[in-house]
Parts: sequence; structure tokens; C-alpha cells
Amino acid sequence: MSKPPRQLDSRIEIVTPENIAFHYVLAGPFRRLPAFLIDVAIRAVVLFAIGLVGTWLFSLAGATGLGWGVTLVSWFALAWFYGGFFETYWNGQTPGKRILGLRVLTVDGQPINALQAVLRNILRDADSMPMAAVGGIGVPLYMLGLAVMAANDRYQRLGDLACGTIVVVEQRSKLRGLASLGQTEIARFAENVPLNFKVNRALGQALSVYVARRELFSAERRFEIARTLAEPLCVLLDLPGDTNPDLLLCALYYRTFIADRPGEFESLADNSRRIEVGTP
Amino acid sequence: MKVSQLLERRREQWRNLEGLCQELEHRRVRRLGGQAVSHFASLYRAACADLALADAYQLPPDTVRYLHQLVGRAHNQLYRSQIFRWRDWGHEMFQVLPARLLCDRALWLAFAIFWGTFGFSMLLAYASRTYSEQVVGEAMMARLQEMYSKPVTDRPGDASGMMAGFYVMHNAGIGLRCFAAGLLLGIGGLFATLSNAVVLGGCFGFMLTVGERDNFLQFVTARGPFELTAIVLSAAAGMRLGFSLIATDGLARTASLRRAASQATPTIGAAVVLFCLAALIEGFLSPSSLPYEVKAAVAVVSVALMALYIFGLGLRRRV
Repeated sequence: MSKPPRQLDSRIEIVTPENIAFHYVLAGPFRRLPAFLIDVAIRAVVLFAIGLVGTWLFSLAGATGLGWGVTLVSWFALAWFYGGFFETYWNGQTPGKRILGLRVLTVDGQPINALQAVLRNILRDADSMPMAAVGGIGVPLYMLGLAVMAANDRYQRLGDLACGTIVVVEQRSKLRGLASLGQTEIARFAENVPLNFKVNRALGQALSVYVARRELFSAERRFEIARTLAEPLCVLLDLPGDTNPDLLLCALYYRTFIADRPGEFESLADNSRRIEVGTP
Repeated sequence: MKVSQLLERRREQWRNLEGLCQELEHRRVRRLGGQAVSHFASLYRAACADLALADAYQLPPDTVRYLHQLVGRAHNQLYRSQIFRWRDWGHEMFQVLPARLLCDRALWLAFAIFWGTFGFSMLLAYASRTYSEQVVGEAMMARLQEMYSKPVTDRPGDASGMMAGFYVMHNAGIGLRCFAAGLLLGIGGLFATLSNAVVLGGCFGFMLTVGERDNFLQFVTARGPFELTAIVLSAAAGMRLGFSLIATDGLARTASLRRAASQATPTIGAAVVLFCLAALIEGFLSPSSLPYEVKAAVAVVSVALMALYIFGLGLRRRV
């Protein structure tokens, strides 16, 4: 199940059967165009190769006409069923989409079935209107598809609307650990923070974003950035006004994420033990 | 326990899951083995649990983002796309589809429009040469006459395969395009059907008036029923899509379109099959030196087969 995306960053939330909500980023026209162009290029090369090899092989056997017949039929199949074939057997991806990390899903976040894969690619023809004649060759302009994509909030073209599919970006990011704060100075300063002060969610996020990026800034800049948050915190925690703001934020980060917080994670630890039992 | 310790403990499992995802993306499930698959499932559930608790336990935003991506990636491997199941398709094509075609008003509308216009246009072209000049165009008329000036049996035997391939590509392509055009509120499909019917009818009517008549009939009789029915079918499937946007039956427009699309797909499949049959006949039977009676018999048999398909199978299902 999916909720409508939040417009600003076009993220879509999907609730799995395990009752977990996770996010996908929807792929807009400008992410999908390069994947489409790659597919067009691949198809053109394969068409050419089939034409060359097919007719050559059959002409060796003395059946030039049949060779052309086979070639023309495979051109037809390639033109209309290339996308449908790959999206069925590659789990919602064509070669172009795989290279650029896109995937077709249903609007509910489920994988698409063969019917949807084939149909959305046949209906591409309606999206590709109008045609422009350039030197006698019809070139599809995809204006209709673009207009329809712009008019709905999931970037669906007509074929997508008819099949109930969306295209999402599969981002990959490396797992990074916690920022390392080597200085004992920070640990020592953390003692000054009252034990009953609990960092709430929003503050915790702000702290980890700050600490992950502070390495990029000079000392003066850190001071300047950290001060906005540190000044009200100083008042709240009853610390002297001349406390180094950078040091204060690092200490809070240390307290929240690195130092001991007795009793808080027992249930999570249980969960991990249970999984380890299932390991082969 | 510390967040840092927790991450340290979890990292191993997440890495494992990531590795398994990567293997699944590039290899078949069967080759991975049952044990690895069940390990994958338990790792996936664990990652889901971690993601659910991530917010509550204040994991850093980087890690949460990583977990979202990891769970999404594993979700895509766990719930995979369904490939064609031939048995289901047999059921769909031989039991569900005939009954649906029989009750499909869009099909009978397309049928009436196409054949009505075709017949009318043929009569007009037969009666008046000016009509054919205006509809078919003099260049096309000259080309048709030239094309059928010799008996088609003179074609080199080798060319049959090529022509069959060409007809598949060209005609089935037109059919699919006609279907996609139907999506534009049905107007595209209607227009395509009408213009096809007028021009084809004009050509037929005109060719009946000239000396090349016999060659022409030799060529078109056998394949006509399959090909013209296939055009009607694809136009009807397209209209179904287009009309579903207007008459929504109380559904939201996109939901109505989705329902119509899933119903129209088998129809277009049937149309492609008919186009291929017509192309085979056109490539191999029509230009052969068999007597005209055989070709006419093929036409009659093909009409009977299609009638049997729609009425025979369709009515049986209905009862």
C-alpha cells in the first residue's frame, strides 16, 4: 500500500506486508529519459545485428527471402515487446533501467506482472504522440506522455496509469558508522551535562547531521553554525555562557549515541539474539 | 547498550543481507539453495524490525536512510514479478475471452462501423470512379493496378517468407498502434477504424471495376477474414480503453481505465495471433498456384473458425 507522495522531494511511502513503511524516490521524466535512450540505442544495435546476421546466415542456406522474413518478424517483436519481455523477466527493469537504477513497481509497491509489463510498453505508442516529420522520418515527441506525467502526482504516463504502475529510483548508499570523536576532552565535557537531560528525536537528528559534517568546516565556521543551537541549550542546561558551542554539541552527540545508556536497548538486543539462532 | 555497539552488532547482518540481495539480483533463486533463501528471509525480517525501531532508538539519519534502501532492495527480491503462466493464459484465451467478446458492445460497435463503412465505400467506389480518385488517390490507384497486372503466382518462390515477415511487422504494427490510439478517449481508435475502412473499401471497390480484378481477388480472398477481423478487434480493444475514461461505472477514472486495460489485453493478444495467421496465408497461400476455389474455401473455413470461437465457446461459457 502506498500513500500519495509528498510533493517536495517526490518520496513515496510503501507499507510492506511485514507492516513496515519504507521510502522510495519516484523517477521523474528526466531520470527516465536517459534510461529510455539507452534502451533505444541497444535496440537499434540489436536490430542492425539481427538484420546483418539473419540475412547472411539464411542466404548461405540459399533462402534469402526466408531470412528477411525472420528478420522482419524479430524486428516487430523487438519494437513492441522488448520492454515487456525484460520488465517481466528482470523484475521490472529493462537494460537501460538497470544501468541507471530504476525499477517499475505497481502503485502499491508490489512487483509488476507480465500483463502490466507488456501493456505499459504497448501503450507507449499513445504517450509518444505527436509525431514530428524530420526529413521524412516520423520522430515521436512524447509531448502527451510528458503532459500526463506533469499532471499527476506520481509521474505516471498514460501507459502507467492504465496498468497502475510507477517507476522508482533504487538508490544505493554505503552504510556509514557513527562519526568518531576521538578527543577525551569531549568525553570529559559530557560529564557536565545533567544526567536527566534526554535528547529528543529532532535534536538527535540535528546532532548527527552536524557531527557527520563538521569535519568539512573550519573552526570559525563550526562555531558560527553550532552557536544557533548551543546558545539556548546552554541556558537550558545551566552551563556557562562562554562554553564552546562545537564542544557542547559533540558532547551531547557522544552522550546520546556513543556513551552508555543503561536499560534502553534490551528489547532490541533480544531481537538480535533471536535472529542469530536462525542463522545456518 | 550504546548505539555504537548496536550498530556494530547489526552491521554484520545488514552486510550479509546486502550480499544476498546482490546475488539474487544477478543469479536465479534456484541456484542459491534453500538454506540461503531462508537465511535471506530471516535477515530481511530482522532488517524490517530494525527499521521499525530505528526512529524510536534514535539511529542516526544516515543509517535510517541506508535501512530504507536496504529494506526496499530486499523487498524487491522477496516479492518478484510474476512471469507468464501458460495454463492461466489457456484458460483466459479459450474460456474467458470468447464470452467477453460476445458481450462486448465496443466490439460490435467497431464491427458495425468498420464493415458498414467498408461496404458503403466499396459500393461507391464500384459505382463511381471520381469517388475512388478522391478517396484512394490516383497515384495509389495506378500502383494497385500495376501491382496486380501480373498473376501473383509469378512471384519468385523464395520471396514468400519475406512477405510473410513483412505482413506480420506491418499489419500487426498497425493493429497495435490502432489499439494504443484508442486510449485517446476512443476518438483515436474511431478515427483509425473509419479511415482504414474508407480507404480499404475504396481500394476493393475500385479494383473490382478494372481488368486486374481476377489477380486481385486471387490474392486477397484467403487472408481477408483474419486480417480484417484482427483490425476490428484491435480497434475495439482500443475503444474499450478510451470509453472507460468516459463511462466509469462509478469508479474513479484511473481505476476504470485500469480495469478496462486488464480486460482489453487478451483481446489485443487475439488480434496479434490473427494478424500472424493472416500473414502466413498472405505470404504462402495467396501467391501459390492453387486454384481460386481452394483460396475461397480457406476464407470460408477461417470465417467459420472465428464464428465457432466467439459463438461456440462464448455461449457455452455463458450458460
